[in-house]
Amino acid sequence: MIDLRGKSGLLIDDIPEMRSALRIQLADAGLEKCDMARTIKEAIERISTNRYDLIVSDYNLGQGADGQQLLELVRRKQVLPMTTAFMMITGETGYEQVSTAAEYSPDDYLIKPFTAETLRSRLERVLERKAALKPLFQQLGAKGDKNLALEACATLITTQPRYLTDILRIRGQLLMDLGQTEQALALYDMVLSQRATPWAEVGKASALAAQGNSDKAQGQLQHALETYPNYLAAYDTLAQLVEKTDKVAAQAIVEQALKVAPSTQRQRRLGGLAMENKDFARAEIAFKRAVEKDRTGFFKEHGDYAGLAKSCSEQGKFAEAMTAIKGMGQHFANSPELSARQAAVESQVLAKAGKTTEAKAALERALAVHGQSPLDPEAALEIASACFANGDSARAKNIIQAVAEDHQENGGILAAAHAVFHAAGLGDEGTAFLETTRKNMIRLNNEAVGLARSGELEQAITMLQAAADRLTNNAQVAINAALAILMDIQRNGMKRDRLNKAHAYLLQAHRANPTHARLPEVAKLYRTLAPADAAPLQIG
Amino acid sequence: MEPLVATSIHDIKNSLHALSSWLGEAERQTPSPALSEARSLANHINGQLVQLLALYRENEGSLRLSVDDRDLLSFLEELRLEPTGRHDGSITVTYDLASADALGTWAFDAYQVKLILADALRNAVRHARGDVRLSLSTPAEGGIEFQITDDGPGFSEALLSGEQSAMSTSGSGLGLRFARLIAARHRTPDGRSGELLLDNQGINGGARLRLRLP
Repeated sequence: MIDLRGKSGLLIDDIPEMRSALRIQLADAGLEKCDMARTIKEAIERISTNRYDLIVSDYNLGQGADGQQLLELVRRKQVLPMTTAFMMITGETGYEQVSTAAEYSPDDYLIKPFTAETLRSRLERVLERKAALKPLFQQLGAKGDKNLALEACATLITTQPRYLTDILRIRGQLLMDLGQTEQALALYDMVLSQRATPWAEVGKASALAAQGNSDKAQGQLQHALETYPNYLAAYDTLAQLVEKTDKVAAQAIVEQALKVAPSTQRQRRLGGLAMENKDFARAEIAFKRAVEKDRTGFFKEHGDYAGLAKSCSEQGKFAEAMTAIKGMGQHFANSPELSARQAAVESQVLAKAGKTTEAKAALERALAVHGQSPLDPEAALEIASACFANGDSARAKNIIQAVAEDHQENGGILAAAHAVFHAAGLGDEGTAFLETTRKNMIRLNNEAVGLARSGELEQAITMLQAAADRLTNNAQVAINAALAILMDIQRNGMKRDRLNKAHAYLLQAHRANPTHARLPEVAKLYRTLAPADAAPLQIG
Repeated sequence: MEPLVATSIHDIKNSLHALSSWLGEAERQTPSPALSEARSLANHINGQLVQLLALYRENEGSLRLSVDDRDLLSFLEELRLEPTGRHDGSITVTYDLASADALGTWAFDAYQVKLILADALRNAVRHARGDVRLSLSTPAEGGIEFQITDDGPGFSEALLSGEQSAMSTSGSGLGLRFARLIAARHRTPDGRSGELLLDNQGINGGARLRLRLP
């Protein structure tokens, strides 16, 4: 049995009476070292500065926020390590949303009312599980290595058979992340041959889709949802698949998922799909909910206000649109991204309202920020939309090309880039344009690798360095730049300044995509060539 | 927003939760059988409200089970902590956990199934002479089966033949209807579903309740 006495905990609840009652129950159970947080803000501060063994959070946290959103936020930003247990306390309504949570589930949940004995037994169980699977959870965080995590799974299956299901579930996800879809599919089939369970149904569908069998995957998911209508991961995965071919159907699926669990993230997704489907009234409602429901400000994004403004303006509600743009400025801290985004959205609204001169002026303001500071892809694409709205399609395409080249391997950003074309009524042209960009990037990489192979290493290095210095989010280019340099060292002898360059490019690639399939191989080459006193490479 | 019936049930449940906490606090300060009985009753009322809500939602077409994997051993150990009534120690409740340990996990709606089993246990304890047993097995046709048996007089003929809908003549039949509904709503993608089976093949001809989940 785990002794709770030495453990440190954090209790999150917005209602003072509930907090003190639960605090007493936790102390009775042995958890004496326990911090408390009243709000999302306090909780995030505490989690960011302390390392806890256990977090106990109520589902309802007031201000339109809930514990599930908090969990998703801190896990996604990797502030909360997987070695820390997260337990959710929930009433019956929250239970449906917590127990079937999609991507980030709590380690356990407890439904009110519960007795002190039940609480104690749950706490012990969840901490026992965290301790037993520690070698695995350690490899699942920001500094973890997915290949080592797979190895840990293999070991733990024999040493901790009690947690077989947990291990298989994580192993399936790891195999998918690492692109080993054959093995993932085999794992899910093996589980399903023994019993029916929703996670393996969804996992199997994802594996089928990854192998290009999208129709079969969709059928599998639709079938699974008839059996498990609350299983959110099935809706999310199905919407993702359907979105590629039928955005109207995808919108309907997200609507269904929202009935199960109304999260800000799903409202945003619904708003985006409704915009693409030109269902502006629905988009307005969705973005409005995203903006209004979360009064903590931790879960909404610039894009929610931008979406609200644009959906209003498309319906001729220009005053509401301008209010939304103002709201964006009031709710977020000042940054180049914010001012560029505000100006770009304003420009689109003004253009729609027929105020050509003012629209141009706003666009110039956005472009001025773009020229001065590097922007995130969302803000850059907003400026591209504004360019289209002002009839400057050449400039729009320049911006989109830069974004697409930089984020060539990021499907989400490429889809957003296409949506910009689509909104401008240029969907087909956008498809062709992005395809050309993709081919150009492949050609650049192939040409450089070809040059390197035929001995023209200097030329290859010059070409790839130029590309890697321009496209800092493109892991592929950075890896090839490092490879060309390392090949040169291998052939022509050590040059320390070049070795340092290769090191820097590998770090750049890791920042852009830590799980890039070719990263381990080139990192290995670096380690082989680097002398003992060179900078060590703590990646891949 | 859910209609008045559903939101009212939630309100009542919240008050009940507060009541239960106060009773727990009182029991901590001065333990007494009466307080323990009162807390057990508050728990029972909470369960009935949940059952009522489920039946209401079924009527509205909005009842959806939350099925996911659950460790069977920890599930049954927690069920054991539920109050079953009759605190005089005259009834022995035996839990056979061996197969739960061997089976590991199963996918089901643990919240609703726990209510069914807690209710069935309470009922068995009320009617038993001295023995109640709970066990888990894997029937030949697949799935898992929770079985609760007692050594009482058994279910009435009227109940077994379907003429009577409640486990006791005074009851409303809420618990039984809920159990049948939740059992049937457990389904698998290949079309199997759960069921509730009642007969008098318990201990010495006593009642036997079997809950099968696919």
